[in-house]
Amino acid sequence: MLSTQVLWWLALPILLVPIWLHRQKRQRLKAEPLATARFLPASAPEQLRVWEWSDRLLLLARCLLLVALIAWLAVTVFPWRGDTVLLDAGVEKTWADEQIRSAGYTAAAREPMPVDVLPWLHSHEHEWRGDARLLIVGAADKIAMPARPPQFAHAVALRVKAPVVAGVVQKSEHHIVLATTPDRAQAWHALFNAFGVAGGGNERYVLTDTPDSKTELIVWDMRDAAAPANWRAPLWWAAPNALPELAAAPSLNVNGLTLKYADSARGRLWASSAWPAQDADGARAIYETWQLLAHGAPAYPAPSRTLDIGRSAMPGALPAAWLAWLLLALFLLERILTHARRH
Amino acid sequence: MLQTSALMAHTTDLNLIIRHVLAGLGHGIHAGRERGAGVEFSEYRAYAPGDEWRRVDWKLLARADRYYVREAERDSHVAIWLWLDATASMAEPSREIKGVDKLWFARSMLACLAAIAQRQGDAFGLVVCTGGRVEFTPASRGPRQLQRVLAQLSRTKADGVLPSAEVLKSNLHFARSPSLIFAASDFLDWPSPLSEALLRLRHLQHDVRILALRTQAEVDASFKTGAAYCDPEQADGLHRLTAADRAAYRQQLSTHFEALATQCRQHDIVRHEACIEQPLGAVLRGWLQLAGARARC
Repeated sequence: MLSTQVLWWLALPILLVPIWLHRQKRQRLKAEPLATARFLPASAPEQLRVWEWSDRLLLLARCLLLVALIAWLAVTVFPWRGDTVLLDAGVEKTWADEQIRSAGYTAAAREPMPVDVLPWLHSHEHEWRGDARLLIVGAADKIAMPARPPQFAHAVALRVKAPVVAGVVQKSEHHIVLATTPDRAQAWHALFNAFGVAGGGNERYVLTDTPDSKTELIVWDMRDAAAPANWRAPLWWAAPNALPELAAAPSLNVNGLTLKYADSARGRLWASSAWPAQDADGARAIYETWQLLAHGAPAYPAPSRTLDIGRSAMPGALPAAWLAWLLLALFLLERILTHARRH
Repeated sequence: MLQTSALMAHTTDLNLIIRHVLAGLGHGIHAGRERGAGVEFSEYRAYAPGDEWRRVDWKLLARADRYYVREAERDSHVAIWLWLDATASMAEPSREIKGVDKLWFARSMLACLAAIAQRQGDAFGLVVCTGGRVEFTPASRGPRQLQRVLAQLSRTKADGVLPSAEVLKSNLHFARSPSLIFAASDFLDWPSPLSEALLRLRHLQHDVRILALRTQAEVDASFKTGAAYCDPEQADGLHRLTAADRAAYRQQLSTHFEALATQCRQHDIVRHEACIEQPLGAVLRGWLQLAGARARC
């Protein structure tokens, strides 16, 4: 956690003050009276200064007290923020102003919204005063929906600008290399046609013979031949035991599909006896498994909502209690030693 | 023998010191100017060691079973003035003998002189220069005067600086009759109001005898080096002593005392120098013999 609190450590040179003061006292060197001193050469008092300290125990106690005080200040946070709007810089200004006005935050301070705002706010919440309210205004793609509703000690309102729904869905092409035996080629073609239908007609699967830079998937369904060594692709689908890397690979059961998988220099290798699919259920299982494992889950934006107060204590708001006790003990020790020195 | 300064330094009783010193010296160390017939009985006094046997009253011994000495009142034209410098510099202690300082030595010396003067029947008085003023005890005779002077000497503390020339001059009214002046000081200030007063008295034909006191460490420059020293009478900052400074220090000190000696010779002032580590008796004898030598010539 980086904040201005660490600047308190810059106050450490204050320790030089007691060190200097304790040294000063020793400078007043006692001079012996000597009747014939007038016949001796005069000496400057500076020459008699020595780097020695008086009351070393007291000096130690005072230095420790200062260090403990600085440490206590450095870990203590004084909440200073009031009502705040965390505003995403990328969001449209008129829309944002309208949202802020409608939520009643016109007088609140505006600050740029940090990345990953909800986790950030969770750990920095102690900077806000107890009665402060927060409004987060941002675009949908900047605020990810957390798995569980976040628990805050302040009232937090979330205003998310919904993404513009595009009129035309972008069409995408998938380049796939198919290497199979002629008797199974029909089944593979049928499978990728079925994938195209499942994508709603927006996804097209282009089957080629040799891989290039755009190739996403290589299907190696040749049981007898070895795959060329220079073929590279992010994902390989192979028949069982077609590739040597898969011999000792672990297996996985997803959607009723048994997969052996391995990472090699060629790319990620999947082996299964389930492809090409023989029926519609098998094809759906393969399609869903591919979408799930290879492409990952799509981002799900958080909706606009008002988060209720869900927690009472904030982490990081209070310093450790033992530090305060140490401070008190050192203060008492310093007072006692000072008193003992005077008498 | 208790005749050492170290042992005697532990007593503050001047009477005791006087007895020890004078018992060791024997008799006749200083001749009174007035002697012979015309001696008139004054009082009895308890016998003290060192008293002459012929002055013991044997008839009184037979009656009282105690030794008494016949005190005689003799007329003497000579008054003895004991002059003590009790400024702060006289507190300089001996670095070799614990408990001995210049003031103690000067006080003991003057107390012995007072005792001698009292035995001889001379009138004696005391002048103490301390703390910028003059404490004056008028000259008188007899045992009570001795006790008065000894009490005054015991009370004296080394403090302050010498009185100014004006103050001293106004206190020189005793100088009408011919007198003998014994002055004990360290004479580190010369010329000074004290020196001017002594020279003035000498010009008025008084017999002035001074005792310049020093410590063995001053003579040898054997102070420890590295320490800071300050002058007790002058606030002129700190002084130091390094091994290289010793020769210059000795040179300056001897120059100072040579100038003092020269001036004393010019004005015919008897001057005796002593270290306070020396035995009291020897110093007293030396001082008195110097004066006696001059008196003879």
